[in-house]
Amino acid sequence: MGDQFRSKVDQYSPKSSPRGSRSPIVPRQDSTGTLKTTISLGKNPSIVHSGPFYLMKEPPGESELTGAKNLMVYYGLEHTYSKFCGKRVKESLSAFLPHLPGYIDTPGNQDNSSLRSVIEKPPIAGKEILPLSNMQLNGFRLHPGPLPEQYRYENQMPQKKHKTKKKKNKYRSSEITTQEISSDLTSLDSHEKKHKKQKRHDEDKERKKRKKEKKKKKQKHSPEHINMGSLTPNQHSNG
Amino acid sequence: MSSALENLETQLDSFIENVRQIKIIVGDFQPQGQQVLNQKIQAMVHGLQELDKLKSQVQDVVVPLEVFDYIDQGRNPQIYTKDCIEKALTKNEQVKGKIDSYRKFKSHLLAELSSSFPNEIAKYRAVRGDERPLP
Repeated sequence: MGDQFRSKVDQYSPKSSPRGSRSPIVPRQDSTGTLKTTISLGKNPSIVHSGPFYLMKEPPGESELTGAKNLMVYYGLEHTYSKFCGKRVKESLSAFLPHLPGYIDTPGNQDNSSLRSVIEKPPIAGKEILPLSNMQLNGFRLHPGPLPEQYRYENQMPQKKHKTKKKKNKYRSSEITTQEISSDLTSLDSHEKKHKKQKRHDEDKERKKRKKEKKKKKQKHSPEHINMGSLTPNQHSNG
Repeated sequence: MSSALENLETQLDSFIENVRQIKIIVGDFQPQGQQVLNQKIQAMVHGLQELDKLKSQVQDVVVPLEVFDYIDQGRNPQIYTKDCIEKALTKNEQVKGKIDSYRKFKSHLLAELSSSFPNEIAKYRAVRGDERPLP
């Protein structure tokens, strides 16, 4: 008898149940297991659904930081925001690296200088970098004379404003020993001086013009001017 | 970390400057310039050695791959930062809008349900532990 009972119980034992610890004897309407139930044992065992609402779940725990907060303020990035988004950032790469020589705004894939290619096809590394021996340096023995035209002007710095040129000169003034470089420098400097001179000359011209106009106005309002009623030759030539 | 980056930047600057000077020497080569050129070439090798030494100091610098695309297109990498900030702000505003809408929806729903099913909603709120009066 006892064995019979055990075999019956074993049949429904949670161990053998595919649903784990749930009793397969009791039919369950709620497959999700979210309904609260009260099981009363005794003479008349019964199962009463005590949960008030069907499919009611525990609400998710509230997290402290959500998108409802201004995350820019939360992480103290207002300054960064105003720095990058407040004023207009110049589009070109040369604006970010103004002192870099050469024309750097061309797409990298055009002259095979893209950073992507370094990642996609990494160069052979791991070899020790050693100074070149005299024999190896012989390989760099050059013929005198200028480079052919097409190579000489390739990658040359584009004409820019004075400001960037000044910055470039910071490097130019440093330890350049060869005659060639110094001549290059002097030509550049003289060009710059010329440019400056011209600018100064233009400014002087402007100033003089303004002065004359002022004088003219003054004379217009002065009683002398009314009496004279004529222009000086100088004014005439400018007017 | 910032000093390591500054070192790297200085080293790169001097390397680029050295290459620029080589370019000038080579551009119109004079026989007496050979020795200087050799020195510059050795300086370039030395520069590479220095750069190689510095790589261990910047191992933990993480650079987003997308920024390379900006640089490769000849664009200012600060534009990338700007775009990221703007995107983050837009997303933040969108999520805030969603959260606010859901909050409003919940309070409206509760108000409407409590007028239609007052007992059930009272029970529900008791279960939830929400005793606040409805707006």
